Amino acid sequence: MTQVEQFHYDNAIVKKFAYATMLWGLVGMLVGLWVALELVFPALNLEKPWLTFGRIRPLHTNAVIFAFVGNGIFMGVYYSLQRLMKARMFSDMLSNIHFWGWQLIIVSAALTLPLGYTTSGEYAELTWPIDLAITLVWVVFGINMFGTIIKRREEHLYVAVWFYIATWITVAVLHIVRNLEIPTSGLHSYGIFAGVQEALVQWWYGHNAVAFFLTTPYLGLMYYFLPKAANRPVFSYRLSIVHFWALIFIYIWAGPHHLLYTSLPDWAQSLGMVFSLMLIAPSWGGMLNGLLTLRGAWDRVREDPILKFMVVAVTAYGMSTFEGPMMSIKSFNAITHYSDWTIGHVHVGALGWNGMLTFGVMYWLLPRIFDTKLHSVKLANVHFWLGTLGIIFYAIPMYWSGITQNLMWRAFTPDGFLVYPNFLETVTQIIPMYAIRAVGGALFISGVVVGIYNLIKTVSSGRLIANELAEAPALPTKHVAEGKEHWHRWIERKPVQMLIGSLIVVLIGGMVELFPMWWVDDNVPKIASVHPYTPLELQGRDLFVREGCVGCHSQMVRPFRFETERYGEYSKSGEFIYDRPFLWGSKRTGPDLAREGVGKLKKADSWHYAHLYDPRSISPGSIMPAYSWLTKNDLDTSTTAAKIKVLRQLGTPYDSDYELTANEDLAKQAAGIVKRINEEKPDLGLPEDADKKEIIAIIAYLQRLGVDITVQDQAGNQ
Amino acid sequence: MFKYILQSAGDINWMAMLALVLFFAIFLFSTVWVITRKKDYVDKVSRLPLDD
Repeated sequence: MTQVEQFHYDNAIVKKFAYATMLWGLVGMLVGLWVALELVFPALNLEKPWLTFGRIRPLHTNAVIFAFVGNGIFMGVYYSLQRLMKARMFSDMLSNIHFWGWQLIIVSAALTLPLGYTTSGEYAELTWPIDLAITLVWVVFGINMFGTIIKRREEHLYVAVWFYIATWITVAVLHIVRNLEIPTSGLHSYGIFAGVQEALVQWWYGHNAVAFFLTTPYLGLMYYFLPKAANRPVFSYRLSIVHFWALIFIYIWAGPHHLLYTSLPDWAQSLGMVFSLMLIAPSWGGMLNGLLTLRGAWDRVREDPILKFMVVAVTAYGMSTFEGPMMSIKSFNAITHYSDWTIGHVHVGALGWNGMLTFGVMYWLLPRIFDTKLHSVKLANVHFWLGTLGIIFYAIPMYWSGITQNLMWRAFTPDGFLVYPNFLETVTQIIPMYAIRAVGGALFISGVVVGIYNLIKTVSSGRLIANELAEAPALPTKHVAEGKEHWHRWIERKPVQMLIGSLIVVLIGGMVELFPMWWVDDNVPKIASVHPYTPLELQGRDLFVREGCVGCHSQMVRPFRFETERYGEYSKSGEFIYDRPFLWGSKRTGPDLAREGVGKLKKADSWHYAHLYDPRSISPGSIMPAYSWLTKNDLDTSTTAAKIKVLRQLGTPYDSDYELTANEDLAKQAAGIVKRINEEKPDLGLPEDADKKEIIAIIAYLQRLGVDITVQDQAGNQ
Repeated sequence: MFKYILQSAGDINWMAMLALVLFFAIFLFSTVWVITRKKDYVDKVSRLPLDD
């Protein structure tokens, strides 16, 4: 007979992750509210570089994804994994290294992003030393998780654990491939992929950050905590298994739906669209499995705020996973892409699915590990309604403004001219929607504040059971097969096989999409007139990256008449072969800049100087921040040589030893621009050393945009 | 277009075939497995979260 063993669950680590979830959740959402208000009141940028929209929007997204949801994942995993495995975490030391390491990464992100240290890849903005730290901490988490699974006392791996395993391995693969880069200095690097290839890697990564960071681990939490809260097993365990395999297999292919109608080859766009449509099936399988778990218990949903939070979370998951595939249909995407619709969509997921589930889990879990009762059910209900209303007041204005703006972009007069040729008109039209969205965000945050207060009161009324006593029979060392057993049970009992199975499944989609793009030259037809950036343009481009301009300005003209009419020739993949990073963007709060240096969009250098210094003096009503510091900061040219060297290593055809003379060319080009500005607008009063300032480099870069592919048509003019 | 690109890259058709075959295999096996499971096994595993 097997002996019953006694052991203790580690609740202290769960508590730490729960506290971090609350803290970073509040911080991340407040930053979000601030950036939302900056769009309504541009003065809130305060002309502080570290507070401008471009720099702190990534801080908001990173804080919410990796700090709030990240800590929420670890809180839920550390609680549920121990109980599902009937074992304490493998190593307390690793648990703590994981916790403090992750917090350190968050603090590094919170310092570097506002200071402008960024790679600009969405959700992969952090610089290379932080990328390395993330890799190390993720490995620590993996060892701790697999160590726990291996020393478990429960034979079967419940489906939640499968989701945790798939999450771990896929995030590892995504993080490494997306962040393959060569440093040029302590905090700057260039990625090994460029242009269209980087775009595909980025959205393979970016979409699967949504899939495997915001979705699969939370599905694992749903499959554990929803049955717990409802006190009944999941509706269909069989469905959960099909759901799992189908979801991880299909999700990995869906990334290219972020690049529809761009220069990405058609075949990759089609793959992305088809697989995104297919995603409805497994996503809704999971959603229905969650909701149907409550069959026969709906009366309790009326009384139990925890179940209310979970029902809204799962419903929001269902809504956003219906909306996502619809937005992946090319003709529909032509409307939603670059517009606020996308912002509304992600917030239904982030606020609804992740936000509401996180608090549902915390309301359930914290009273238990503190051996007490929830301080106030009434306050939890208040939080629930503030949160739910907040989501509605957030999402609806975003859909409204998205549709409004897109309709304005594409409106033609009967004579075939754009009705709103000035992009700014399409922005000022939607400012009221931005204001209502900020109200929605504020409502949601006020709910979070009430929730945190309620949880603090709850925690202070109890005492942490840091080591919770549990007992379970030891697992027999040798499994005795009872007759003919099925392959899946073999996989289930062996987490490493499970890990490899998940890895193979997610790698298939990645390989088939990415490898042809990397290997096949035909995918990126070369354009003879496309040349590498000059040293000044290169430095200007890196400043454009530093300031996060890509957060509002795309550089990708889609092949629609309403876009070519507004911006000029549509973008081609061959234009981007020297672009590290690629800067196609995914949202147009300002106009596209791909043709900023040519045709009817071209402006004088002096226009750019005055516009960057104070956008509203040139374009009244503009909501762009003022970048006055660019006129004051000296351009750091000490980095030019290292940048040129790394880029040449990566295949950019700079002459050998060009790095030795690059700064001379840089100075010449800068002097030329300053001379032109002085001739055009002597009254701007440029300082004597104006050619040394950062703003000149950015102007050089902006004036370069679109030049390469028009150079032949406009010979003599460019 | 996809076929052309894959062909022009040399012998990488096997990737598309592998993807297709594995795609069906995964669905087929997981569906067959869930249909053929005995009720007592499914009940037992699905109650794991409630038994800790």
